[in-house]
Amino acid sequence: MDTKGYEIIVGLEVHCELNTKTKIYCSCRNAFGAEVNSQCCPICMGMPGTLPTLNEKVVDYAVKMGYALGCTINPISKQDRKNYFYPDLPKAYQISQFDIPLCENGHLDILVDGKEKRIGVTRIHIEEDAGKLIHDDSFSGTLVDFNRCGVPLIEIVSEPDLRSSAEAKAYLDTIREIVIYLGISDGKMQEGSIRCDINVSVRKPGQPLGTRVEMKNVNTFSGAVRAIEYEAARQIEVLENGGTISQETRRWDDLKNCNFLLRSKEDAQDYRYFPEPDLSTIVLDEEHLAELKASIPELPNKKVVRYMTTMAIPEEDARLLVESVEKAAYFEEIVASGTIVPKNAANWVLVGISRVINETGKSIAEIGIPAARMAELIEMLEKKEISSSAGNTVFEEMLHSDRSPKEIVKEKGLAQVSDNSVLQAIVDQVLAANQKSVDDYRGGKTNALGFLVGQCMKASKGKGNPAIMREMLLKALEG
Amino acid sequence: MELYRLTATELSRMIHNKEVSSTEVTQSVFARIAEKEPEIEAYVTLNEEAALKKAAEVDEKIAKGDNLPKLAGIPIGIKDNMCTKGLRTTCSSKMLGNFVPPYNATVIEKLNAEDYVCLGKLNMDEFAMGSSTETSFFKKTKNPFDTTRVPGGSSGGSAAAVASGEAVVALGSDTGGSIRQPASFCGVVGLKPTYGSVSRFGLVAFASSLDQIGPFGRSVEDVAMLYSAICGKDPYDTTSIRREYPRFEEQLSSDVKGLRIGIPDVYFGDGVTEEVRTLVMNAAHEYEKMGAVLVPVTLPKPDYALAAYYIIACAEASSNLARFDGVKYGYRTENYKNLEELYENTRSEGFGEEVKRRIMLGTYVLSSGYYDAYYKKAKFTQKLMQETFRKAFTEADVILSPTAPDTAFKFGENSEDQVKMYMNDILTVTVNIVGVPAISVPCGFDSKNMPVGLQLIGDKFSEQRLLNTAYAYEKQIGGFDLSRALAHSADIPQKG
Amino acid sequence: MDMDIKRLAKLAKLKFTPEEEEKYAAQMANIVAMVEKLPDLDASGPLIDPDNPMEMRKDEVVSRYTRDELVANAPEVQAGCIVVPKTVSE
Repeated sequence: MDTKGYEIIVGLEVHCELNTKTKIYCSCRNAFGAEVNSQCCPICMGMPGTLPTLNEKVVDYAVKMGYALGCTINPISKQDRKNYFYPDLPKAYQISQFDIPLCENGHLDILVDGKEKRIGVTRIHIEEDAGKLIHDDSFSGTLVDFNRCGVPLIEIVSEPDLRSSAEAKAYLDTIREIVIYLGISDGKMQEGSIRCDINVSVRKPGQPLGTRVEMKNVNTFSGAVRAIEYEAARQIEVLENGGTISQETRRWDDLKNCNFLLRSKEDAQDYRYFPEPDLSTIVLDEEHLAELKASIPELPNKKVVRYMTTMAIPEEDARLLVESVEKAAYFEEIVASGTIVPKNAANWVLVGISRVINETGKSIAEIGIPAARMAELIEMLEKKEISSSAGNTVFEEMLHSDRSPKEIVKEKGLAQVSDNSVLQAIVDQVLAANQKSVDDYRGGKTNALGFLVGQCMKASKGKGNPAIMREMLLKALEG
Repeated sequence: MELYRLTATELSRMIHNKEVSSTEVTQSVFARIAEKEPEIEAYVTLNEEAALKKAAEVDEKIAKGDNLPKLAGIPIGIKDNMCTKGLRTTCSSKMLGNFVPPYNATVIEKLNAEDYVCLGKLNMDEFAMGSSTETSFFKKTKNPFDTTRVPGGSSGGSAAAVASGEAVVALGSDTGGSIRQPASFCGVVGLKPTYGSVSRFGLVAFASSLDQIGPFGRSVEDVAMLYSAICGKDPYDTTSIRREYPRFEEQLSSDVKGLRIGIPDVYFGDGVTEEVRTLVMNAAHEYEKMGAVLVPVTLPKPDYALAAYYIIACAEASSNLARFDGVKYGYRTENYKNLEELYENTRSEGFGEEVKRRIMLGTYVLSSGYYDAYYKKAKFTQKLMQETFRKAFTEADVILSPTAPDTAFKFGENSEDQVKMYMNDILTVTVNIVGVPAISVPCGFDSKNMPVGLQLIGDKFSEQRLLNTAYAYEKQIGGFDLSRALAHSADIPQKG
Repeated sequence: MDMDIKRLAKLAKLKFTPEEEEKYAAQMANIVAMVEKLPDLDASGPLIDPDNPMEMRKDEVVSRYTRDELVANAPEVQAGCIVVPKTVSE
């Protein structure tokens, strides 16, 4: 988009549903897609006299995310009530965290245009999700389904450090990969597992931050990109026409691809936050925090960069490997099992193994080829002990047998011949039998060489080292 | 023998010894209800059929030789803000006039485990907001000692029922004095336990950080027995506290030798009538006769606590009562065209005036720009009070004061002046703000022949000591005089 | 005292007639005068009580209620859902 020299400033508030077994404040099942009002109890329906009890896993998951994003964890924190009326909020307040969130002052490194950029994370807090309103023209009113009430959420609030919709997209993708890596969320966009509110402002470089506008109801990452571009363009147009931006909340309409005013600053909500008196203090002991910290794996964004910088894997391949925890782990195990070029291991995982996964739906563990054997195969290829076509044959065989690549090569006689005297005899034989091609080549038709190499391969039953034979042919033809 | 007049302790012994059946006891209490209820109006909902069925079950178990808990077969009244599965729970509000909970409050589960007999649901100030039970949407409960006077509140139904024999014992709840003040007005014993010792799950919340359920009885031993049955850590209430809770009635002792009883000047000051002051100090001197020592203690002015109390309680209430919106349960207005009207008309029609006033005050003290000056400052005041009481309890073992500045007032006497009404709580709210336990015990009658209550305040979890101290006084004076309240209507001499 | 009764009523979802508004304003003024009697103290810093650590709940499913029980008290139910007037979705 044409930003007319303006800089776009974006901050994101990402809401991510956690995949605990039960809801945050009651023992109802935390499940998506169940029959309406079937995953409820008096507590999550806000019946009189009921009280919340905090699910310990929700705290653990939020703390894990906090450690993953380099946050300071507040070992003592509390929950607060955010008061407002809406039919999807049965208690008429949401239990959230106001001034002492579980996690603060972290950061997330995103990769844009091959370079890492650090985005500040202000805070991560826990809160409960609201229910769902069903609008249907066959009813005169709106129907309320409370199944989602009390589904645990973490809200991750970024600093206004993002400068484009592309950066915002990279930030969202990275958050999604991380929660999946940590096993704390399904990250399923289509089920609304990750949603965000977006703060956008624009300014001329060097100027102070402009007035920000908050956009609600952004439920897809592609929607986020369009919403940011739309809002930035709207603000730039207003400013270019001599107008001013007012602090307001706008609602993104993903179908119409535009946003409209929800409320202006004047009718800003007064949520009357105060400490939730029904829940005592969250106190986390050091030992438990240390355990949670130790459980954090290397994060996907960090893996991508490590693959790129220390293993010379291209960015695109690195991302593909990291997409699945299993693939990345398998890849690393293969690399560690032999002295091979990591790029070759990456290719085998992304091509050979991925094809089998796609065709059979099996996991890598189910496919059952030990990483060490993959390393052995790759090593044989790298040392030219077998040709690449033989490599494929060995791989296919490994899928169905429990023998090592070396055994398969031996058994099937697939070893590549690199013995010069044997090869020279084949080359001489081929040259003698194909005088026409020799003449063609010498007459300037250099593509006759390819034909001759092919004839050599055929004569060696695919076992001759094609590179050596090619050299020998050239020597004979040019000499 | 009129069984309804007996204490739970006596009835429990008799039922276990098969001297009487639970059915006989329950029938006796319902007969008493039939006699007195038209005059007293203590109950919002009666549970006679289910109660008699339950009594028969208990009798069957006893006949089989089952070893039953102490409260088995004892008819108990429940304040109508504790959820009872399948039995209407109204909080004496139009808002919940038709609400039938699908769950029990934890205290009800605990009483069920003791095989108690539920008499019905007792009248109260609407959502426990009041000091006279006059704010009930349904009826005005009368003081059994003088039916032109209020029973106190908010647990007025509980106090009046126990005093008049319409219940053997009862549960109430106390947010700012709602057990102790009506106990005092009706001449019975009422205990407000340490915050966190009784589960609040299923108690319709007024002010979450102050509410506490507690027992009413005609003797200290009854109160101890009922308290033992309901206290304890509840996994459904994170604010309930895990610790050892004994059977308090089994360890009652009337030995108060050497007990240091603190007398706080500020609790005998302005507003406390001369008669009340005298009767309460007489009781203090009884303790001296028994070997206790009276010591002066310095406490902050109760005005601070009263201010902090109304801020914190109303703030929490404004949020707790927001769920009553005509959507999921309870009253829904018929007069609405859109969501906003549904909310506003339901709430404006469903809540009474006092409730609306407190919601407004609570909304105000939490609203943007006022939070720090009111709510936050009140919470810090609370911390200060807690600190002061910690110090006071190094100087005294229990603190003694009047429960209320005066005896029961007439209907309508305070209903137009809220501040005057709120002053009724001045001696009781501090206990809730500090979170400590206190018990109100009858200590005589004033010149209007109305009961006066004395309040004993203890440190956190000192219920045993409080109960012992109250028990000692009960023994010393030969028991509490409820004869007029328990008499048959025809036997009460008409006032001249 | 600068209490905006209209704004507070809107926040609390209550509706008053002009007469009621006037009455409430007067009553609230008295009450606020009473609750303003707080001691002069430093009320900065967060409101948190580290002395009462919470016992948290284990992440184990308990389901005990049927939908019919849960919506039995609702004023209007259709297709297992509670019905409210049409909302402009937010």
